[in-house]
Amino acid sequence: MSMRDEHIPTVMPTTNRSANIGATLNDDTSRLEAIAKVTGAARFSRDVYLPNSLFVSFIRCPYGAAKLESIDTEAATAVQGVLDVQMSRKRGQYHGQPAGYLVADSPSAMWRGLRALNAQWKPQPVKTGITDEISGPPPVPPSVQSLLDEAENTLDTVYTTQVQTHASAETHGSVVDHHGDTAILYTSTQGTFAARDGMEEAFGIPLSAIEVRCEHVGGGFGSKLRAGKESLIAARVSAKYKRPVYLFVSRAEDHLDTGNRPSSRTYVNIGFNSDGTILGGRMQSYGGVGVGGNGGVHVPSGRYSLGELARDHTPVRFNGGAERPFRAPGAPQGAFVEELMLDEIAAITGVNPLDLRLARTTHDDFREMFTLGAEHIGWSSRAATGSQKGTIRRGFGIGSGSWERYPARAEAEVVINRDGSVEARTGTQDIGTGNRTVMAVVTADRLGIPLRNVSVRLGNSTLPIGPASGGSMTVHNVAPAMMQAADDAKNQLLALLADRLDAASQDLDIVSGEIRRGDETLMTWSQACVKAVGQPIVGRGNRTQGVARYGGAGHSRGVQFVELAVDVETGIVRVKRIVAIQVCGRVMCRKTAENQVMGAVTQGISYALFEDRILDHNLGSMVNPNLDMYKIIGTADIPHIEPIFYTKGQTGPRSLGEPPTIPTAGAIACAVYNAIGVPVRDLPITPDKILAALEGDAA
Amino acid sequence: MPDEHPDSSCDDQKRTDAAVGALSRRRFMQTVGLSSAAALADRARAAAVADDTGAPPILGPGAVDIALHVNGATVKVKAEPATTLLEVLRMHLGLTGSKEICGRGACGGCSVLVDGKLVYSCMMLAVDAISAKITTIEGLAEGDALDPIQESFIRHDALQCGYCTPGFVMASTALLGENPRPSLDEIKAGLSGNSCRCGSHSNIFNAVLDASGQAPIHDGEGA
Repeated sequence: MSMRDEHIPTVMPTTNRSANIGATLNDDTSRLEAIAKVTGAARFSRDVYLPNSLFVSFIRCPYGAAKLESIDTEAATAVQGVLDVQMSRKRGQYHGQPAGYLVADSPSAMWRGLRALNAQWKPQPVKTGITDEISGPPPVPPSVQSLLDEAENTLDTVYTTQVQTHASAETHGSVVDHHGDTAILYTSTQGTFAARDGMEEAFGIPLSAIEVRCEHVGGGFGSKLRAGKESLIAARVSAKYKRPVYLFVSRAEDHLDTGNRPSSRTYVNIGFNSDGTILGGRMQSYGGVGVGGNGGVHVPSGRYSLGELARDHTPVRFNGGAERPFRAPGAPQGAFVEELMLDEIAAITGVNPLDLRLARTTHDDFREMFTLGAEHIGWSSRAATGSQKGTIRRGFGIGSGSWERYPARAEAEVVINRDGSVEARTGTQDIGTGNRTVMAVVTADRLGIPLRNVSVRLGNSTLPIGPASGGSMTVHNVAPAMMQAADDAKNQLLALLADRLDAASQDLDIVSGEIRRGDETLMTWSQACVKAVGQPIVGRGNRTQGVARYGGAGHSRGVQFVELAVDVETGIVRVKRIVAIQVCGRVMCRKTAENQVMGAVTQGISYALFEDRILDHNLGSMVNPNLDMYKIIGTADIPHIEPIFYTKGQTGPRSLGEPPTIPTAGAIACAVYNAIGVPVRDLPITPDKILAALEGDAA
Repeated sequence: MPDEHPDSSCDDQKRTDAAVGALSRRRFMQTVGLSSAAALADRARAAAVADDTGAPPILGPGAVDIALHVNGATVKVKAEPATTLLEVLRMHLGLTGSKEICGRGACGGCSVLVDGKLVYSCMMLAVDAISAKITTIEGLAEGDALDPIQESFIRHDALQCGYCTPGFVMASTALLGENPRPSLDEIKAGLSGNSCRCGSHSNIFNAVLDASGQAPIHDGEGA
């Protein structure tokens, strides 16, 4: 046993979150790469400084729309250490749009060169949001109007959400190490295999000669799914100068030009009766996508029966960086609309919001989870909406979410070596989800050996193909492939062993690291490997066969219950508790799964209360492009979060990364409404909006 | 028996062994060269004191010799005086555990200890750290033995992507140095200079509570 084992056993007991213990395949394993991450040894792509590197920065438009009147590229190239300036455009259509790039041999030369450019941009007229294009919804169609006319009550209103930037801790970028015939692309990506798509021209070599490495990725929430312009330029420069190139964008650039969750504006006209029956109506949404994208709003979600709904969505373009997928694209926006709308209907009709949901839900999973969550949060102590009079008012809210189980191609290998060590191989990346740890857990489980014998290799395009970490596709596609690969390797080992022992392989099994025939222990795992393994055994599996064999299907569903307090003098919201119940199939690794849920909830609070990409209305520039001004939830804002897995004996894994971030903002909006008696229909729910809502209510 | 097996844990753990403590020190000694502390201190003084008029020394604009005491070793680099401590650590010394996330003192990703005090290394010039004892995330473990706060972070899964983690570990170390048994509110205040995008805060609080001998937050107990 090494020193490390004494200090850091892989399996350690935990004391909290007892609700999930025993409900998961693995309760106690700590994240495999945690040691590397707490010691600073984990090498992220942004940590790759190769000797003789060049440093590249984009030259960017500083306004929402602007014309480049002059730029002194000669002065920049005259700066010592600056090798080249390349300009590609003279007009910008959003703040942060690349207009060229500068190449230097050190970061300081790069910054000096950028200053020497002395770029003069002339601002042009801009549009900075949906309302610059849309003044209101089209008229309600006659068929919808007749339905609304039939209803005893109607709600006609608009729900709006802000632009949220991904703000992954590791900014977007790449290091390219070009060797002439081959190249290595170290990149901060959510898609090992997607990261080099279309890059052959920039590299000047075939895709087969480009190896992508992304062993550790400093966060990814949808903006790192594809090969970016950072890789493209880094590859071009590296190919040209035959030197390694380092191109990571700054925090400000990351806010401006690496995607965002688009803003939204959803007009709702809905008819309902006083018993809470919802007849239907119209939902017209607009997505504020910046210079490109669709910006969907997932309403109706299908989680509630809302009657007959006319539904339309239109993306709206303006002078802002283009949207990209952001953790459950469109879904938190839609859940915010739907849940707050339900609570408004509940308040108007006098029906308890919990009862309304129990009556309107379309699936038993939700009904059961609503009941369970209500018990956990103490729903019975909720005061009626608008009934409180004190300065600090308590609010309760409910949210829900659902997510599909998207299939994706995935293959895997499990290698058994003569020394008993096992390597599980998948090219997919671990962006912090726990993918690496889950693969070790399922491999050890299928082989019947202790986890410490299993190492995992991932995040490399030379390894078996698998999906990007998007759409919550990794674990439920790769795990079945890995399970099949482990079973294949195990069967090969047992066949070899049966030959040596003159036994029938179907009589042999591996349990707890021992080779057994019936009740008889024949030898240890390591003895078996020494006896039977010559060349390493390679077991193979793929997703299609794995799913057929190990099962697992269906949507992920979740509900969340929020308790918070609002100070009606300051408008400050304090979230106290969030109970997050999640149906996500078989949970492979409790610790990493719970962390996914808590992280998703935490991001959901941040979206509901704090984050807002603000563009100056005159210049179109983002006024808050760094973490001191773009407010992300901090330690003081964290409530007590209780993740509960509602497993119901399921056998296969489903999606988990995105689903638990869907319900949060809607639940918080409902709880604020419950506390103060006025709905705030515009995210983020900041103190000024609460005070304005209260003032409007009093007036 | 399982214990007979050769250790074959994941590659990261092997790299951890290779990179933490003595080995990493050896590596950057090879990289930057090592002289006796006294000789280096003399040279730093020689580089810094430009004249004998008593006026503040003028450094640069070109690269100057900078001697630093990092993780128990004295190292010498040549860098422009405007170079931040963070850049020297990452690019000159290969100590990439300290991260640049915001680049301007808003996130804590680059946190190190300078003479025992928590410092954002992106906000400090390397020349201002010349006579100080600097501890980075790479210097926290004693050889193979991790610091208890590191073990606690692992046990409570107090991280996801891991990019902000070194900063949180350093801030937690500084907090526990000043307050060995912080309350939950004191932990939240003590770590408020650090930002985590993945949302691992709850587990970080539990890690600090556990490392200070206190029970983690349980189910059903409000924070």
